Amino acid sequence: MILEMNNIRKSFGRLNVLRDISMSVDAGEVVSVIGPSGSGKSTLLRCATFLETVDSGSIRYMGTPAVTTDEYGNANYVSPAELRRIKQYYGLVFQQFNLFPHRTVLKNVTDAPIHVQKRDREEVRETAAELLRKMGLADKADAYPCQLSGGQQQRVAIARALAMKPEILFFDEPTSALDPELTGEVLKVIKQLAEEDMTMVIVTHEMPFARAVSDRVIFMDGGVIVEQGAPENVFGSPQQERTKQFLRGYER
Amino acid sequence: MTLWTMILKMSEGFGKTCAIFFLTLLFSLPLGMVVAFLRRSKNKLISNAMRFFIAVLRGTPLMLQLLAVTYGPYYITKSLDFISISVARNKLIPVVIAFSINYAAYFAEIYRGGIESMPVGQYEAAEVLGYTKMQTFFKIILPQVVKRILPSVTNEVITLVKDTSMAFTVSYQEMFTIGKQIANSQTSFLPFVVAGVFYFVFNAVVDFGMGKAEKALDYYQ
Repeated sequence: MILEMNNIRKSFGRLNVLRDISMSVDAGEVVSVIGPSGSGKSTLLRCATFLETVDSGSIRYMGTPAVTTDEYGNANYVSPAELRRIKQYYGLVFQQFNLFPHRTVLKNVTDAPIHVQKRDREEVRETAAELLRKMGLADKADAYPCQLSGGQQQRVAIARALAMKPEILFFDEPTSALDPELTGEVLKVIKQLAEEDMTMVIVTHEMPFARAVSDRVIFMDGGVIVEQGAPENVFGSPQQERTKQFLRGYER
Repeated sequence: MTLWTMILKMSEGFGKTCAIFFLTLLFSLPLGMVVAFLRRSKNKLISNAMRFFIAVLRGTPLMLQLLAVTYGPYYITKSLDFISISVARNKLIPVVIAFSINYAAYFAEIYRGGIESMPVGQYEAAEVLGYTKMQTFFKIILPQVVKRILPSVTNEVITLVKDTSMAFTVSYQEMFTIGKQIANSQTSFLPFVVAGVFYFVFNAVVDFGMGKAEKALDYYQ
């Protein structure tokens, strides 16, 4: 088991965004998280990547506990040093790419492996070149992010995350900030990763893509998991009324 | 007195003008960063103390601050009776201290504005990649902040060139002080014109240099 999240609760003030959510992800699994805006799916991802702190619940990566909850119901995070080690297990691709604009594409990809993971400079550079080639960006290594299209920037962001050699990769609506004609190139890259058995959790609004690429689909609404299962079941014969209602909105 | 001797005499003071200018930048630029950090501290006591510090330095005349730093220690220690510090013989020290503290307050607010204008996504990307807080600041945030604040910093630097003339209030023999003395003894306005040309040329150089720096950072948006 790469990731285990159990009984996660998170509220912003009086708003309960996550209400007792549990999910786990196996090695090689591709999980899509779908649901209406405000259903808590992005917050779930942000809790999994420690960008938000949970109120209660537990999170484990590769069997190593990162968050536990004591008998009083309070979440306890492990030490910052331990947390930093656990962070090496995952990568995150943002909706807004969040590339470093003052750095070339190559430096965006190589800097963290060299200066955070302290890996060998040459090895990292080779890995990065290979990744950029795979992303179809071999000729963009010396470009700056502002010189690239949104789709290209997002593929750099994916390369940057992959260069860290994560066990699991999270995507937070990776195509939502892109022009419709640019989403295809990003989705193609993610599909390719899925075929290579990369473990991934993808929060997305691209239903046909989710259906095609996932091993499992999770439908969230109101801070809970309403329904989950194989894509052909969730999309083909949803059991819950709420799921049917949501999916109808995407039919044409 | 000919115009030429006037210029010669005043350029003797120009070295001291430059000394104030460069030493002030040397100390106030980093000091401003420290103040900006403390001002952003989560500790209310520290951040409010810095807020007050900035308010006083921006809210009172630089001239007054110059007088306070130069003569203040003398009057304070004299009133204490048992010790006495004389007025510094080398006035450069109190002048640079006063200028540095004053400009640090302004720079601190410019830095703070720049740091707070950074999109939160940059911090989040750095955090997920495992950068430490120090690495995030020095590798990711600061380089971008520098680009954002450069026009405001240029403004302050140009003001500093002209503000150096304020050192005449404590009779520090920089260019403007000398010019003022010549103007008085010769009952002539000409030294002020000469001083004006000096400052204008100095600032043209500053403007050119800062323009180059801005251009060098133009490679990204």
